[in-house]
Amino acid sequence: MRAAFAVCAAVAVAFLALPVVALFSRISPATLLAQLGEPAARDALVVSLKTNAIAQTLVLGIGTPAAHVLATRRFRGRDLVLTLVELPLVLPPAVAGVGLLAAFGRMGLLSTSVAFTQTAVVLAVAYVAAPFYIRTAVAAFEAVDATIVDAARTLGARPWRVFARVALPLAAGGLGAGAVLAFARGLGEFGATIMFAGSLQGVTQTLPLAIYAQFGRDFEVALALGALLAAFSFALLLAVKWLRFTSTPVFPFASSSSA
Amino acid sequence: MKLVALTVLAAAHLNVFGAASLAEVLPRFDGTARYQFGGSDQLAFQVRGGAPADLFLAASPKYPQDLYEQHRCSKPVTFATNTVVLVVPRANPARIRSVYDLRRDGIKLVVGAKGVPIGDYTRRLLANLGLTAVLSNVVSEEDDVKLVVAKVALGEADAAFVYRTDVKAVGNRVLRLAIPASAQPTVAYRACVPTASKQKPAARAYLRRLLGPTGRARLRDAGFGLP
Repeated sequence: MRAAFAVCAAVAVAFLALPVVALFSRISPATLLAQLGEPAARDALVVSLKTNAIAQTLVLGIGTPAAHVLATRRFRGRDLVLTLVELPLVLPPAVAGVGLLAAFGRMGLLSTSVAFTQTAVVLAVAYVAAPFYIRTAVAAFEAVDATIVDAARTLGARPWRVFARVALPLAAGGLGAGAVLAFARGLGEFGATIMFAGSLQGVTQTLPLAIYAQFGRDFEVALALGALLAAFSFALLLAVKWLRFTSTPVFPFASSSSA
Repeated sequence: MKLVALTVLAAAHLNVFGAASLAEVLPRFDGTARYQFGGSDQLAFQVRGGAPADLFLAASPKYPQDLYEQHRCSKPVTFATNTVVLVVPRANPARIRSVYDLRRDGIKLVVGAKGVPIGDYTRRLLANLGLTAVLSNVVSEEDDVKLVVAKVALGEADAAFVYRTDVKAVGNRVLRLAIPASAQPTVAYRACVPTASKQKPAARAYLRRLLGPTGRARLRDAGFGLP
């Protein structure tokens, strides 16, 4: 049985690794770097970094307090709210794109004119990435030992101090992992962006959109951008593992409820 | 025995790769073929990559010609023509009355990407009009003409350049504005049979029918011009 399981493991790993290995085997490091200097590639890199940085700031800034509320309060319909927050995780990106247009489009519910702007890219990225962060953050805050929080409170700490000095440090590992996951998902966002923000080099054309646009025209650029995204995402996922590893309790007496 | 039956079944369908602008007319002309519609450049790329296409119907002479010169398809034949038009949403939020209004700042113009037939025709048309400056109002470059027309039909874009035949498909959601005939680029649709096709006789028969009275009638009904 052990041998059979080992074979399954080998097959699974080989299957999942093969496309990435192929990506790098089709292009030499020198060509990769040269292709990344192409204007289309450079513009896409800048657009991706800018929009993702803004989206990530919004996700962390609004998502952290939101996750704390969802983790610490018990209210009616909490399951419904949590499910709504998680929904974009499983929603096909095309549905997200149509939904964003229906909400923020000129003919949409809110009737804004953000479609085809960088704001639209930021919204699309935030929409698909936020659930990754909030979900992980809720779990991280829930795992914080309530007795420590209570102790801080009975010792006279104000709510903000309890949040900033007790809950936040104790949940830091989980929050960091969630942030990295959200960032990785946001960088790879494609479907919602192309439908809601369109595709224009230097404005709304992110890395995944540039890969798609170059696919039929300059395959080398598509390969180079693909390899870059794959390498970067690999590094991010590895970082999550290390964050999880180091998220062992800061306070020794909290070890009984470590997550 | 089973294997034979499967082969026969697989052979029953002709795989037709068609320009996005043919997406309405071709299934009406022949509902038995299996269609893949998209930008002609993307389809040509797939044919070169070995996609199982039995017939390639492009919105530009360029891509069939390239494949022909690479010995990847038969000699291309022209089967239809088209014209480029300017469309705006029915409500016309930017109050565009002619192609010259596109010069105004802040207009949201959607065009086909470079290399996509409609994108190349649009750029040629604007060059003919001396209006290439309006390209600074472009907010999105799409990968095929259906994606372009959808942005205007949804009311999200103020204006777009598409084919005359695309307007019929979105009905009354858009208004069509005329473009000076002298500025029109030549829009010719060409077809070829990929060398890798395993159903060349059936593909040739499809093409013959498309070039014949039935095909011509269908194309004309859909608003295409005939060679």
